[in-house]
This record gives sequence, C-alpha cells and structure tokens, in this order.
Amino acid sequence: MTNVVQVIVDAGALGSLYALVALAIGLVFGVMRLINFAQADYATIGAYSLVVPTASITPPLMFGALPTALMVGCVIGTVILLALLTERVAFRPLRNSNPATLLISSFAVSYFLQNLVVLVHSGRPKSVGIGGSLTNAVELWGIRIPGVQLLTMGVAATLLVVLVLFLKKTPLGIQMRAAAENFQMARLLGVPANRVIAVAFAISGFLAGTVSLLLVIQTGTLDIKMGLMPVVYAFFATVIGGMGSLPGAALGGFIVGVVSVLLQTYLPTDLRPFRDAGVFALVILILLFRPQGLIVTSAARERV
Amino acid sequence: MKKFYLTMVCSAAFAAVSAASAQAQDAAPIKIGFAIAQSGWLSNYDAAPFQAAVLKIEEINKAGGLLGRKIEYQIADTKTDQALAATGGAQLVDAGVDLLVVSCDYDFGAPAALAAQQAGKIAISMCAGDPKMGVQGVGPLAFTATSAAQSEGIAIAEYAQKKMGLKTAYVLEDVIIEYNKSACAGFDAAWKAGGGEASILGKDTFRNEDPSIAAQITRIKSLPTPPDAIMLCSVTPGGASAVRQLRAAGIDTPILSITAMSDNYWLNAVPGLKDFYIPGLISLYGDDPRPEVGTFLAAFKARYGDLPASSYGVMGYTLIEQWAYAVEKAGTTDSQAVVDVMNTFKDQPFTAGPTSYTDQLHIQVNRPWLIMKVENDSFHAVEVYRNSFVPDMKLLFRVGQ
Repeated sequence: MTNVVQVIVDAGALGSLYALVALAIGLVFGVMRLINFAQADYATIGAYSLVVPTASITPPLMFGALPTALMVGCVIGTVILLALLTERVAFRPLRNSNPATLLISSFAVSYFLQNLVVLVHSGRPKSVGIGGSLTNAVELWGIRIPGVQLLTMGVAATLLVVLVLFLKKTPLGIQMRAAAENFQMARLLGVPANRVIAVAFAISGFLAGTVSLLLVIQTGTLDIKMGLMPVVYAFFATVIGGMGSLPGAALGGFIVGVVSVLLQTYLPTDLRPFRDAGVFALVILILLFRPQGLIVTSAARERV
Repeated sequence: MKKFYLTMVCSAAFAAVSAASAQAQDAAPIKIGFAIAQSGWLSNYDAAPFQAAVLKIEEINKAGGLLGRKIEYQIADTKTDQALAATGGAQLVDAGVDLLVVSCDYDFGAPAALAAQQAGKIAISMCAGDPKMGVQGVGPLAFTATSAAQSEGIAIAEYAQKKMGLKTAYVLEDVIIEYNKSACAGFDAAWKAGGGEASILGKDTFRNEDPSIAAQITRIKSLPTPPDAIMLCSVTPGGASAVRQLRAAGIDTPILSITAMSDNYWLNAVPGLKDFYIPGLISLYGDDPRPEVGTFLAAFKARYGDLPASSYGVMGYTLIEQWAYAVEKAGTTDSQAVVDVMNTFKDQPFTAGPTSYTDQLHIQVNRPWLIMKVENDSFHAVEVYRNSFVPDMKLLFRVGQ
C-alpha cells in the first residue's frame, strides 16, 4: 500500500514538472501560434546562471551564492529578460509570417542559445550543490517523500492557481485570453498586441526559471541539454491537452508525467528501456481519438 | 682520359648527392596524426589525453627522437562529427602519417580509424572502451589504449565481493550509451560468478536525461530485503543526478560505479557523499600509489601549469609510449611490423599499467585498476586491484546476452 502511495507521489511530482513546462509552451502558443522550442534553453540558461560563466568544470557559484530569495529572484529575472529579448529580436519581426516560419525561428534561437552556452561554459556537464536541505526525504504517513517532490508539486499547484487568477481576474489576463481566442478580433477591439505577447513571454520565462531551479535542486547538475527532455515531453503534453488550451496543457503535462512513471514502475525489466515509446504511443492514440486534444478551445476550431 | 676523369668526378658527385639525400630521408621526421575533436562536446574528453600525448612526444624528441628521427604531429579537428572524423582521418593518412591517433570514443573514433586501416596504417584510440576498436571491428591495425568497459564492471564486482564482503547487489543501468551497458554486462557476469544468480536482487534502467528517477528509487525501496550494494552504470550528468536522488531518498547503501564517474568535478552535486566506489585509471589527488603515475602528473603539471582535466589524460601518454616502444623494437615505423611487435606485448609495463595484446584482442581486459572511493568531497585512492575473472569474447562483444 505504501508502495502505491509512493508511486502516486512520484507520478504527481514528475507530472507537475511537465505541467509547468507545458503551461509555458501553451501560453505562448495561445497568443502567438508559436511552438517555442527555445523554452528548453531558457531553462538551461537559468540553471547555468547559478554559476560564474567560465570554461572551468568546477566553476564558483554566481547567483547560487546569494541568499535563497535573492537567488530565486535573480535566476527567474535572468530567464524573463532572456525570454523578452528573444521575443523582441527573433519572434516579433516574424509575427505576421506563418507558424512554420516561427517554428524554424524558434529552432534557430534554440541552437543559438545552446551554442552560446557551449561557448561560454564549455560542453562538459558541471555540478552545483544548491538546495541540499530541500532534497532530504520527509516522512509522511509512513512513507518517505523527497522534499523536492513536495516542492515541485507545491510550486506547480501554486503557480497554476496564480496563473488562473491572473487570466480570469486581471485586465491584462482577460486581454490575453481574448488574444488567445481570436488575435485579430482582440486587436481590433483595442488589445495591445505587443504588450500581451511580451507578457506571455515574460510568464513563460518565469515558468522556465522556476523549472530550471527545480531541475537543479533535483539533479544537482548542469548540462547543455538539461531543458530538452522536459520540453519535448511538455510539447507532447500541449498537443494531447489541446493546442492553445492552458488547462489542457497542464492536464497533458500531468498525463505524460504520470504515464511515464507508471510505465517505468509496472513494465517488465526488459521492456523498461522502451518506456518512452509507450508514452509516445499513448500520444498517438489520444490524437487518433481526439485530434484536437483533450480540451478543445474555440480558437482551435476551424474558422471560416 | 680527360673525359674519363670528368665522368669519374661527375659520378662521384652524383653518388655523394644521392647519399646525402638518402641520409636526409633517414632523418626525415616521423609523423603522427591526431584525428580528434577540438570543438563540440567530445573535445572535453579528447583534450586531456591529447595534451598528455603531446607531452610524451616532446619528451621523446628531447631524448633524441625515435630511431634517431624527430616526431612531428598534425591535427585534424573532427568537431565531434562522425563524417568529419572520416575525412579528417583520410586527410592525415594522405599526408603520410606513421600513426593515426583517434578520438576517445568508438563511434567518433572508428570512422577515422577505418580510413587508416584501409590505407594500411596503424590507428590507436585514446580511450574507446569498446573492443570493436580492434581486430573484429575496425580491423587488425586498430587498437585502443584503455580497458574494455566490461572489465570495469568486473573489477568493481570482484572488489566489492572479495574485499568489501558485500553479498547482494541491485543494478541500475543508464541505457543512453553502449558503454554503460557493456560495463553492466561485465558486472552482472562477474557478480553472478562470485555470488550466484540470486545475489543480484534486481535490475532497473533509466535514461541519462531523465529529470527524475523517482520510480526506480521506489522500486529499490520496495525490495523485500535491501541490497548490500547498488551498481550504477552511468555517466555524468545523469549519473551524478542519480547518485544525488538515491542519497536524497535516504538510501545509504554503498554505490559501486564505473570509470566514467571518476574525478571530483561532479561531486558538488552530492555534498557529503560517502560509500561511493569506482575502478579508476589514476588518482589526480596526490595519493596514487604507483610512482610512475606521480612522475607523469609532475611532468604534465610542469608542461601545462596544471594537472590533466581528467584522469583519462594518462591514456594519451601511454598510447604514444606503447607505440614508440614497439617502433623502437621493430626498428621501423612500418605499420605491420609495429603491430606485430604490439601483438606480442604480455604485461608490458607502461605508465597506465601492464599492457597485453594478442592478434585477436587489441584492448585491455584485466589491467589493474585503482579502486577509488569518495570521502570528504573528494575521490581517494584505496588500492590497486586486478580482476581475476577475464571476459571471454562472447561477453566482450555482448553476443547471446
């Protein structure tokens, strides 16, 4: 029984992590029809900002040396700035091009950022020991839950609530939802496009910064591709959740995380290396039965 | 008569000139080519062995050269690209190198080594742990300076059973690269040979880039009897992440791992780590019990101002050392003659340890390892240990497993 509870916690924590990334991707897709693959590199750069940029494999801490609150602020701030910068330089000029061009541009940004990290930090994985106390296991109802799992679930739940409140209650949030529904119409009704898109990117940067910290606390390592797997999973999550739907993205993130943990837990040993194939097969199945995703927004429906 | 004299003089002059040119031919430098990555991710692994190889070349030149000839070297940057490795290798072979040194990895070193093999030149990888970098894979002129990944797993298994008295193990395998799987295959075979089938309590896999191994940890914690040791076949960064998560989950069991996890650079990920053991190549931390390693490290530091960035550095040094020894013995740089000498090496003492080759096996299977453990946030040498279980061809090529 404890085992089952533990599996549920494992699944919930990973699902929460993917849900956070999926929210960021879903939000930007909603307002701009851009699948931003550079989201992976936002998280990577956020994590690398913890250490001084040098080629040394044992670099001294930069933001990582600050008191916790300041460290979190600086890392998230860096990623928000980066997200805004990429929006301004790489995506805004292309806003009226078709989604394929935007997608290519996001690949270009992603490769550029990745190579920038290699240039500055060298390609060798590094390690940072921040948040060690958070990784300690907490004893709850007879099961030991690593602190970072609780943290991930707590942060994801909080951010989800805050984001929903922001989108439902604030004028900017309402404008953003309007833009996500029908961008042209929203603009005609006076929604400032630049501001709405910039805010969407800032929020995606905020989420990426949070994810980078959670990843570093969990793994203790820095690697140029550390953001990639969560983003690939989150991308599938937004697709099965329903492109453009934020609750869909969060739900999708949860589903892929949970399924991945369940497959890892219950598949026989020989099949476990093919766990990811199982997750992706599920994506295909869901899309066969619900091509528009689990939660369909009016924006995703075919417009005449 | 006058005419005859003239002819004599001319012939003499001609003979003198050709003799001089023959002498120049003799003194022409020996050429070594390096088809290695100087950029891209592999460059981090090729850099230290390359520096060490250059150090050995300079030492040989300072001592008067090889067969009385100076050694020159040329580099082709493969940029961590398999296609460029092939063209870079071919270019160097065309430039007439006597030895081609290739990358620290089978997949990226093999294309260059193949180019050398096809041209009848010897190629040695700095640290590919795959026996395919040899007779059965690339060809009879290809070698690797290091040990088979299987023997890493074997050495740590034997050491844990015989010296640490551990009875049961649980295996955690990172399936991202073949090297990990080979090391785990060696561990599995040696552990079962020493403790029986039932002494491996379970096995699980993960992928290096997995953000979490929570499910794997839950499985370990649900075992009816906890294992004496966890064998972790992985490389950084995923390996470091796995160790952090294991310890964070309160699993304090000794962790056994493989050579790729050596060196201190990743230990920040797990502050206060204890009971972590690997089969290492050399210790960079001043406690290697072998004097020849100390000499190498001192020379490296004098040349470059710092110790090698990784302990794999010694492989570049020992590679040139082996080849030069064989050239000296063969009295020529002709590839086939040199390979014939190398194939007779039997526990030939070199800096990285006793080295043996046969006409069938161009990789080490039981070169002694330096067992190292982590304590006070650093690796420390424990002792030199030589595995007695030797992998057979089936295990080395992982056929029928």
